[in-house]
Amino acid sequence: MRVSGRGKSIAFFIVFGSCLVALAIALNIGWIVLNVREVALLVLGVTFFLAIIAGLVLNTTFLVREIRRNEQHDAFINSVTHELKTPIASIRLYLETLQSRNVDDKKRREFYDIMLADSDRLLHTIEQVLRAGQLGTRRTREHKANVDLSKIVAECVELTRTRYNLEEGVFQVNDQCGKSEDALVFGDSEELRAAIINLMDNAVKYSASEKRVDVSIKRQDEKNIALQVRDYGIGIPGDQLKRIFKRFYRAPGKLVGRVKGTGLGLFIVRSIVKKHNGRVFAESGGEGHGSTFTMLLPRVEKS
Amino acid sequence: MTSVLVVEDESHLAEGLRFNLEAEGYQVDVIGDGDTALEMLLTDREKFSAVVLDVMLPGIDGFEVATRLRHEGQFVPILMLTARGRPEDVLNGFEAGADDYLSKPFELAILVARLNGLIRRSRWPQRNSIINKDIETVNESSGVAGSLPTSGVQEYSRDVFVFDGKTIDFGSLELFAGDRIIRLTLMETELLRYLIARSGLVVSRKSILEEVWNLRVDTDTRAIDNFIVRLRRYIEDDPAKPRLLLTVRGVGYRFVPNP
Repeated sequence: MRVSGRGKSIAFFIVFGSCLVALAIALNIGWIVLNVREVALLVLGVTFFLAIIAGLVLNTTFLVREIRRNEQHDAFINSVTHELKTPIASIRLYLETLQSRNVDDKKRREFYDIMLADSDRLLHTIEQVLRAGQLGTRRTREHKANVDLSKIVAECVELTRTRYNLEEGVFQVNDQCGKSEDALVFGDSEELRAAIINLMDNAVKYSASEKRVDVSIKRQDEKNIALQVRDYGIGIPGDQLKRIFKRFYRAPGKLVGRVKGTGLGLFIVRSIVKKHNGRVFAESGGEGHGSTFTMLLPRVEKS
Repeated sequence: MTSVLVVEDESHLAEGLRFNLEAEGYQVDVIGDGDTALEMLLTDREKFSAVVLDVMLPGIDGFEVATRLRHEGQFVPILMLTARGRPEDVLNGFEAGADDYLSKPFELAILVARLNGLIRRSRWPQRNSIINKDIETVNESSGVAGSLPTSGVQEYSRDVFVFDGKTIDFGSLELFAGDRIIRLTLMETELLRYLIARSGLVVSRKSILEEVWNLRVDTDTRAIDNFIVRLRRYIEDDPAKPRLLLTVRGVGYRFVPNP
């Protein structure tokens, strides 16, 4: 109900803006017809009208954009509420169960594992939100040093595998840098790890039931190291490839709707990579054909 | 054995609920998405005695599931669960046709108590069927409040109210209006009961929200207006020109049983 309400208000402003622009153009033409003999007046009038038209167009655009942003913000609050409350509800449910019922040893251990997994999920959400908040502000302390990307990637693969209880074969890592010195990057290892984990997290989350993720590290050229994370999941439509990196943005559609998320992950990835003077982009063969995320980071020679 | 359907896509919560409800003696089925749940509830209408329904589901959401079930005439009791607990969300749930509502995180004991209550309540109409026939006959002769004939089958005091040729049975959640029998949701019944108890008096929207829905609201909300519109459709001969359930401008509503 709320969404269609917003849709209506957007439509209203677009129609309203277009009408005003049309009116201004009509007045402008009238002005030209009436003053075609007096050059000075004509030039002055036309400039004036053009300014008004430009203003109207700008105003309408900003309004529509602001409404859209509001909408995304709403969706974000919704999903964060869900992501925060669900694990708490689950932990609480299990604690109350353990408190009020006789649970045998095997079940009890199972419950402990579930609660641990839920508290991890909670922590992950909180960290994402805090990180996104930090990246939004200018103030950031730098902890930069030479970092071995190969090592970080291996750690991230391990972490993601345990988080999702995945088998050994799901991640295919192809490290072409061989010796660790080849993949040296100057940066903050904590942040780089967060960015890479987010990419791998997404690859697993947006895979279909059959999960497979290819990870490769190679020297792109003299200056850059390329890290690629490829999945064979639901894919990304062509017009969404850039937008998905925006804050709070989540691609519309049924398939994405089945996966829970806050719309912060890729925003965090992009912000971190930018801070390291790198670049990140997505490619996809379209819906159902998987997607590839490539991260380019400037390489440093070992000193 | 009493069967309960849990519609919840978060596997941890679903399994926790399953464990507890099984410990309470229920037979539990767990479904992870709205479409499958809808299909299950519409193919075998008698199988489940109650549904625990999450709102945020993949595919169609819980509100939509409840709306469609009620639209198809499936009146299985629904206990709705959701992460968002704002008054608007709660009202949305009731409007969709939920019978009760809990926001996450919930207390286990309360969830179990409410579920037990819903199931107990839904069983009344079955025991009630003979008495219902009585009410229909009374209704035809356009009875007045309190003039129901006492028959031998009566085992407990019937909770009914007769007004303007209509009879509402608070036990079976049914409204008899002329030759129509309308099934009401628990909340519609509660709202009607509240209005009837204050017949002739002006009741504010705020007091309705606080006392019928147990919601604390700071601002004046018009969210219950939809419920009033629905009740009018049930009890008024011409819902556009209400005679029984009147709007008091700027304040709320007034129920007049015999205009």
